[in-house]
This record gives sequence, C-alpha cells and structure tokens, in this order.
Amino acid sequence: MSSSNTETLVEVTMPQMGVSVSEGTIVEWTKQIGDEIGYEETICLISTDKIDTDLPSPVAGRVAEILVEAGTTVDVGTVLAKIATDAPVDPAPASNENGAGVGGSAPDGRRYSPVVSRIAAEHGIDLSQVPGAGRGGRVRKQDVLAFLEAGGSAGGEPPLHIESPYRPDPEPAAAAAPTDSSTEGLSRMRRSIGRHMKRSLETAATCTTWIEVDVGRIEAARRRMGITALPILARCVIDSLREHPALNAWMEGEEYRRFDDRVNLGIAVSLGEDGLIVPVIQEAHTLAPEGLARRITELARAARSRELRPDDVADATFTITNPGQFGAIMATPIINLPQVAILDVEAVVKRAVVVTDAGGNDSIAIRPICILGLSWDHRALDGALAAQFLAAVKRRAESWD
Amino acid sequence: MATMTYLQAISDGLRTEMRADERVFVMGEDIGAFGGAFKVTDGFIEEFGAARVMDTPLAESGIVGTAVGAAVVGLRPVCEMQFSDFISCGFDQLINVAGKMYYRQGLPVNITVRLPSGGGFSGGPFHSQNPEAWFMHSPGLKVVAPSTAQDAKGLLIAGIRDRNPVVYMEHKHLYRRVKGDVPSGSYETPFTARVARDGSDLTIYAYGAMVHTALEAAYALEDASIEVVDLRCLKPLDEAAILASVRKTSKALIVDEANRTCAAGAEVAALIAEKAFEDLDGPVTRVATPDCPIPFSPPLEQAVLPTVEKVKEAARELLEY
Repeated sequence: MSSSNTETLVEVTMPQMGVSVSEGTIVEWTKQIGDEIGYEETICLISTDKIDTDLPSPVAGRVAEILVEAGTTVDVGTVLAKIATDAPVDPAPASNENGAGVGGSAPDGRRYSPVVSRIAAEHGIDLSQVPGAGRGGRVRKQDVLAFLEAGGSAGGEPPLHIESPYRPDPEPAAAAAPTDSSTEGLSRMRRSIGRHMKRSLETAATCTTWIEVDVGRIEAARRRMGITALPILARCVIDSLREHPALNAWMEGEEYRRFDDRVNLGIAVSLGEDGLIVPVIQEAHTLAPEGLARRITELARAARSRELRPDDVADATFTITNPGQFGAIMATPIINLPQVAILDVEAVVKRAVVVTDAGGNDSIAIRPICILGLSWDHRALDGALAAQFLAAVKRRAESWD
Repeated sequence: MATMTYLQAISDGLRTEMRADERVFVMGEDIGAFGGAFKVTDGFIEEFGAARVMDTPLAESGIVGTAVGAAVVGLRPVCEMQFSDFISCGFDQLINVAGKMYYRQGLPVNITVRLPSGGGFSGGPFHSQNPEAWFMHSPGLKVVAPSTAQDAKGLLIAGIRDRNPVVYMEHKHLYRRVKGDVPSGSYETPFTARVARDGSDLTIYAYGAMVHTALEAAYALEDASIEVVDLRCLKPLDEAAILASVRKTSKALIVDEANRTCAAGAEVAALIAEKAFEDLDGPVTRVATPDCPIPFSPPLEQAVLPTVEKVKEAARELLEY
C-alpha cells in the first residue's frame, strides 16, 4: 500500500486510565515506524505504577510517527504516535456496536442467562465448552452445574486465592552450581513491590499482634451462603474498624488521617510468579458478605487477567491478606503504606481447645481455629488498641449469625 | 384441632374473636337474620345479638364509612361485602378515608373488610372478580388472601387485631371445596408467605385458589421438582421469602387469577426482576386471566381463567427453557 492523497494522520494519545491518574509511562513499543497496524491492535504497552495495559490503535493503517520514546513518562493526552490511514476516521466504529460479546452473549453467538453467566464467572468456566440441554441447545443452570460437578471447570484458571504481600526472598541461587541457576533482572512489578515493602519497613514502626479465632460459625454460614469465609470475615473486620476507626487511617509523614465511617478495603491478590497486587473494594462498608464476595471475585479475576484500572488499586484504608491455603499458620505482614495496619488471615486448623458451657463447665472440643495477625504502626497507635480491635473481630466472628 | 371447610374456618375465626373481644362486631348486607349470602355468619345473630351482627342497607359506602367511624372511637368492626365486586361502591371510604386516616390525622383505623372474591362457578362479570390489586396499589391498606382453612382463620384473626385497615380476600371457590385441620381457639397467621411445596427446579408463586391449581400442576409434573410459594399476604409482599425461593430454583412462574395487567403477580415479577436478576435462568413467566370481563358461559369462563392444564404447560415450557 502506498500513501495516497486520501490518507489522513490519526493521533494516538496517552489515555486517561483512571480518574486519579494524570500521567503514564511508555513501557515498550510493539510496532515500529512503517509497520502495518489493525484496528484495536496493540501499538504499545503503557503503565501507571503497577498497572500495565495495552494501548490499542484507534484505526487501521500504518505507523507514521513515534513521538515518545519507551521509558518516558508523559501527561495524559500527550500525542504518542501518528498513524496514517485511509479508513474513515470514526472514534467509535459502528461495527463495534452490534458485535458479539455484549451483555450476556458470547463470541460463539450463544446467549446466557444471568445466573449461568454468574456461575461461569465465579468458577472461571468457558461457557462455549458447556453442552446445553435447554431449548435450542441453550445452557441452563443445571447444565453449567453438571459441568462443574463433572470437574470440567477452570480451564487453566487458578482457584480464587488470595496471597500475602509478605513473601520470602527468592531462594538464593546456589553459588556452587551455576549451571542449575539462571539470572534474570527482576520484573518491574517485583521491583515495585520490593521498593514499596522496603519503604514500609523503613518508615513504619511495625509491630504484630495475634489472636486465635474459632471460625466454626463462619464456616457454617459460608456453606449456607455458598461463599468463601473471607467475605464474612471481611465484614467482621469492617464493623470492627468502624468501632475502632483509629486503625482505619493513613499516616503520611507526620500527618495522621482517620476515616471514621468509610472503609475502602484492600485485598491482596497473588499473581503467581509475577508478584501480587492489592485491588480495593471501594466503600466496602456498604456491602453485605455476598456483595463483598462478588467484588472480591471480580477484582481477583480482573487482577489475574491484568484488567485492573488504576482506580481499582487506589485509596485503600485497610488491607486484608489471606495466604492460608498452603497451611501456614502465622505471618508478620508488612503494612501497606500509607495505611496504619494490615490483617493477615492464615489457615483454618482443627485444634483441641477448652470450651466452657453456659454452666461454667470446661471440656475439650475439636474446633476450627484460625490465627489472625495484625501488623500495626506504633507511630499511629498503641498495642492495647490493636488488641482491642482483634478482640472485636474475634467477638463478631465467633457470634456470627 | 378440628377438620373444617375454608368457610367454616372463617366463621370460626370470626366467632372466636367476637367471643374474646367485645369491641369486635360484624356488619353487612343480609348477614344477620339471613346469616349472609354464603352463610359465614349463620347463627351469629342468635349468639351475639343484633347490636353486634348488624344488617345494613345496600350501601357499601355506608358500611365502610360507618366502620371507619366505629374504629376511630375504638371498636374493631369487620365488614362483609356480599361480593368483592361491590367494594367499588365503597371505594372512596376505603381508599381515601380509611387508608389515609392514620397518615393525615394519626388515628388508626382498625377495620377488616371481608371480600368474597374469585370465579370458577359461572358467576359472571359482577360476581367473579379478583380486585386485590386495587388495594395493593393504595398506601395505608394491608391485603391478605388465604388459601387454606387454617390460614383462613389465622389471617382473619390477625387482620382483626392489626391496627391498620386490612382487606381480607376470601375465595368463594374455596369455601366448601377446601378442608383442613384447624387449631381450636385463637391464633394468628403471620402476614408472610408460606412454602406450600418444596422443590428445586422452578417456583410457582400463587395465592388464594390458584395455590391449589399450582399444587395440582406441580404434582402432575412428576419429573420436575417444583416449589410452590403461597404468598398469603399481598401487601406487604414477603420479599425475603419470594426472593429466597427464586434464588434457589432460578425460574419463576407466577399464577394469578386476576386480570393480567397490574395484577398482584406483576408486582412479584417486578420484584424478582429487580432483586434476583443475577439468579434467573429463564424469563419470569405469568399465567393470568386476560384483560377481559369474566364470562357467564362455563366453557368461556374456563377458557379465560388459569387452569391446571395452562399452568402445567407454562411450567413445562419454562423448565425446558
């Protein structure tokens, strides 16, 4: 294709990726000057803090100019590149309006009911793989449940699991066996996590306090409600934060800022080898456990598919981390600055404990016990308050109804 | 505990409450010496006297209006409309006076209005209607609609004791067709829904006579596990029970003997669409009487009313969806 008189130049600009974001960094150009590019094909990778995203081309054409070098940070709206095109320039091509993938229909052309879509999303099921026994091959709730029952779920999708920001250092490579080791630079995300965690330890006066909680009632409730224990525990934490708002706060320099009612709850999500990220349930205090469960699932999925927006990771007032699935029972989490505390939820382990009945008689019972660890910033509060907060969480969790 | 018809249970509830509470009295057309068009108050005038079992002129507005006045001074009147269809003549007193009295003046209007409703017996256009939605739409009134003998007594007693105006829909077709064990003495049935049959594949929502139609259809469809929810109270609707069932089954079929447009079932459908959308696995479906007067002709009447066959067909369609 040679350039012709009908060709126009279309600008590619740094997009606004969240309301609080004013600039972004070019990570890498995936197209070079002179390359052909399709509509919505990735032209470059951009990032803001921990969020990386592909920048799609607004039109099909040829890359005519690249104006910003990789590694440069520029303001939102800055022109990054220009694309020569002879396609009609329309910022919202009509073909996108009636395409598949809109509200309940899928690329395979089938449409799914709300409950089927929800179950599929919760379990990471590819619905195109589910045989439908409904009218015209429609996938009914029973079909997707049967598919799930038969183990045909989660094509490569990791189960929902939430991991601690506390991660041990990577195993040092054995010096004596260089052939078994490999060397590579840390990823940008690892470097970012490392900086952030190190800065926290250097800044905050971190202490950790633990408490044991009998989660029998929560376990019963979660089975009844069909959700995990985490959102119920999160609800107990939110209510306890509102009782003790001193922990629902930020410490920025010498300035201590307390949030009395609003709880934006960060939940640490593991991204496997790449690291982890803490998406935030904004205004978590407005949600019941079912709503929290839904948000946690949505955010975890978005995190794993790298679809988080910068606003999804901003403004947490408190963080929960839940690495319990491997059976570890205790950790000392690192506070996610500028917050003043973080709660670590570890594995639920059955233990023989002494229980006292209403008549004051002691006996030994087998109970599911979980240790909660709270790391808190001694600059902002004292140990008594941390203990009171943990006791409040324990009280709520053990009387959950 | 005694076995009673639906009609006997209504009489028993009324008698129990009149014996227990001197403030309770009944009024209506031909309810005294004649014992009522359907004999609900048969023998009442002998037991309680004409002062508490009042025959009134053929003037529904006067009946409801008098009852409102009596309630304001502390009595607990129970009005009988000979047929629910005739309440239209007492509409202003019920909707504008009784329904708004507490809001406007802080005076509770403790009246109960009994409305013999429903068709299925060739009563024709003036004696077969199901006007409950008129009252659901009007703030200040409660609306109940029992389907069993036990609930007929319990809801009537609860209605008499409730300090709001309560519209009590008693289905004429059930009067002598439905029998059941009824506890003796006084008891109140709560203004909540009841799971009449447990199931997991589909929920049929119904009230009044349609509960029995729904149950018959559910038992006939042996292959499917069909839940039947008896709404019992239409205003306020038992949101929690309605939503809990559809969250379990994901499919909702609503059976409504009233004319389709703006019927009680329409409100149930709207509630489900609003609050249980994420749990739905098929369209919220309704079986109702089309928007036409109820015909005299028996075959024509059967053609318009929801029948077991129609409910079965709709349930089958939805199950297969």
